[in-house]
Amino acid sequence: MKKRLNEKKPWYRLDLSAIVYPTLQRKNFSSVYRLSVVLKEKVEPDLLQRAVDETLPRFPTFKVAMRKGVFWRYLEPNDRPGPFVEPDIANPCMPMSFQNSSRYLIRIYYYEKRISLEVFHSLSDGGGAMYLLRTMTAVYLRLKGHPIPVGQGVLDLMEEPDAEELEDAYFRYASSKVRPPRSREKTYRIRGTREPFYTLNIITGVLPVQQVLSAARTYQVSVTEYLNAVLLYALLQKQKDDRVFRELPVSIAMPVNLRRFFPSKTLRNFITMVYPAIDPRMGDYTFEEIVLQVHHFMRYYINNKFLNADITTNAAVTRNPFIRVVPLFFKDIVIRQFYKRVQDKQSSAGLTNLGIIETPEEMKAHIERFDVLMGQPFSARTNCAVVSFGEILSISFASSIVEADVERMFFRKLVQDGIHVKIESNRKTEVR
Amino acid sequence: MSYCVNCGVELHETCSVCPLCHTEVHNPRHPADENAPKPFPVRQGAVAPVQKADVLILISVVLAVTAGVCGLLNLLIFYGTYWSLYVIGGCVLLWVFCLPMFLPKISPYVSILLDGGGIAMYFGIIAWLHPGRGWYPDLAVPLTVLATGLILLFAVCVRQIHASILSCAALLLAETAVYTIAVELLIDRFRQTPPGLTWSAIVLTCCVIIDAALITILRHSRLREEVRRRMHI
Ligand SMILES: [Zn+2]
Repeated sequence: MKKRLNEKKPWYRLDLSAIVYPTLQRKNFSSVYRLSVVLKEKVEPDLLQRAVDETLPRFPTFKVAMRKGVFWRYLEPNDRPGPFVEPDIANPCMPMSFQNSSRYLIRIYYYEKRISLEVFHSLSDGGGAMYLLRTMTAVYLRLKGHPIPVGQGVLDLMEEPDAEELEDAYFRYASSKVRPPRSREKTYRIRGTREPFYTLNIITGVLPVQQVLSAARTYQVSVTEYLNAVLLYALLQKQKDDRVFRELPVSIAMPVNLRRFFPSKTLRNFITMVYPAIDPRMGDYTFEEIVLQVHHFMRYYINNKFLNADITTNAAVTRNPFIRVVPLFFKDIVIRQFYKRVQDKQSSAGLTNLGIIETPEEMKAHIERFDVLMGQPFSARTNCAVVSFGEILSISFASSIVEADVERMFFRKLVQDGIHVKIESNRKTEVR
Repeated sequence: MSYCVNCGVELHETCSVCPLCHTEVHNPRHPADENAPKPFPVRQGAVAPVQKADVLILISVVLAVTAGVCGLLNLLIFYGTYWSLYVIGGCVLLWVFCLPMFLPKISPYVSILLDGGGIAMYFGIIAWLHPGRGWYPDLAVPLTVLATGLILLFAVCVRQIHASILSCAALLLAETAVYTIAVELLIDRFRQTPPGLTWSAIVLTCCVIIDAALITILRHSRLREEVRRRMHI
C-alpha cells in the first residue's frame, strides 16, 4: 500500500485537437462519436463485459477521466469500476458528462448482433478508437471459443502499451517554417427544423464496395473524392431548393488521418481538417466538374507538406507562452466563441472516411460489417461517416434536423450512378 | 425486401415507409415485417443527472466550521460585542444562495423565497446589533418583501406563461416603477414627512413612456415582427 502512494500516477495532457472538444460541452451536446461492429451472431452481454474488462487495461488513454487544471484540462487514469456494457438506445451519442458517476468517457452498447463503442473525442479519433473496438471484438470472439491471432488492428493484451501509442504526435511533426493563413469564408448552412433534445436521426446506407469503386473509377477518382463530390452535389441542390436570398459556397469539413503521412502508432487524436468546397456564385457546376474540382483540391492539399503547415499553425497557438498562462475558464470562452463563429460556419456538412478496416483473416468470418457515426452535429445539420470492410461499404448520416433532403439527394445520386443502396434508419417510419 | 419506388433504394425489411422521402411501401409479395428486429432499438436513453451532492456537503461543512469557529472565538476570547453574528449570518446567507446551484431540482420559487428570507434575516441581525430608529420594521422588511414578491412575479411570467422577451421587458419596467415609488413613499413615512412623489416621478415617467411604446409594439403583430427581426440577439 505504501509503495503505491509513492508511485507516480501518470497523467496525460490533452493533445492538440482534444483541447477544443471539452469547451463545446453543453448540457445537450458532447463531442461523442460511435464505432460499431455487426457480428454474425447475437451478442452475449456477459462475455462482452468480460472482454471489455480484459481489454481496457491495455488501452490506458481510454481508461481515463477528464480533470480541470488551472490553465488546461488533462486526463487522469480512472480506476473506478466500469465501464459497463448496456443494452443499446435509440438516440446514440447522447451527451457525456465529465462528472458522471463512473467518470468514464467511453460507453459500450450491444443490440442484437451489434457492438457499439462511443468515445468522447478528446480521448482519440476514429482511427485510434478503431484499434480498441477491434481488439475488444477479438477478445470477445476468443471468449466464444474462436482462435483469433493478434496483428492487423488487434493489439496484444500481454504486451505493455508502447510509449508511441500514448504520444501527442502533433508536436513531433509540427515543423513547418511558414504558417499559411486560413480562409474564413462563410458557407451555406442547411435550413431545417431542429429536432428536440435526445434525438439523433440516423440513416445508414449499405453499399457493395465493388460498385462504388467502379463508379469512382468511371470519373477516375478515389472513393473518398467521389463521395465528397456526391455530398457537395447534394448540398448544392439543397441550397438551390431552399431558394436562398444569396447563394454561398458549399463546403465540407473532412478530417484527414495524419497517420497515413506521418508514421505514428498513436492511439490518440492525430487528424486535421480540410475543407473541399464549391462556389456556386461562379456558375452552375455539373457533377463531373464537381468531381474534378474535389479531385484536384485533394491532390493539392493532402500531402505531408501542406498538412505539416496546417498542424504547425494549430501547434503555434498552444506553444505561445502568452496563451498558455491565460486561465482555463477564459480560454474556454474564447475557443468556444471562435468555434461557434468561425470554425463551425466554415462548413455546410461533415464527412469522414475511415477507409478500409483491416482485421486478422480468422476474424473476418465472424464480422458482417463496421459502421461509423460522426455523432451529434454541433449546429443543425447532417454529418456523414464512411467505412468499408470486406465487400461492404457503410455510409451513416447523423443529423439533428427533421428533414432528410441532403440524405435523399445523396443516396439518389449513388443509385443513379448504378450503385445498389440498402437503407436502414432509426427515424420514425410510421405512415404520415 | 422492398425498394422505394421514389428513390430506388432497397429498404430494411422492417420499413413500412421510406426514411428518405416518406413514400409508403406497398409490396404485396413482401409486406413490411413488423416482428423482425429493427435496425435500431427503440429504448430511449437519458443522461443520469449529475451528482453534485458531494460539493454541497463540502461547502456546508466549510461554512458550518467557519461559523462555529467564529462563534466560539467570540464567546471565549474576543468577547465584548457579538461580532460573530455577522459572520454566522453571512455563512447562512451564502449557503442559501448556493443551494440552487447544487440542487437543480429545487423549485426556483422556493429558492427565491429562501433568498428573500435570508436577506431579511441578515438585516435583522444588523438591526439587533445596532438598535435604534426602527429602520428595520419600517424600511428593510417591507422593501425586502416587496422585492421578493416582484421577482417572484417576474419568474412566474417567464417560466409559466413563457412570455416573450418584449413582454418580459415591459413587465420588468413596470416593476421597476412600482419599486421606486414604494422606496420613496416608505422613506417619506420613515422620515415622517408628508408623502409625495419627487425623484421617483422621473423614473415613473420614463418607465410609463417606454412601457407604452412596448405595449403598442406588442399589440401590433407586424411591428412586433419587425422589431424582433432587427433586434434579435
Ligand atoms: Zn424514398
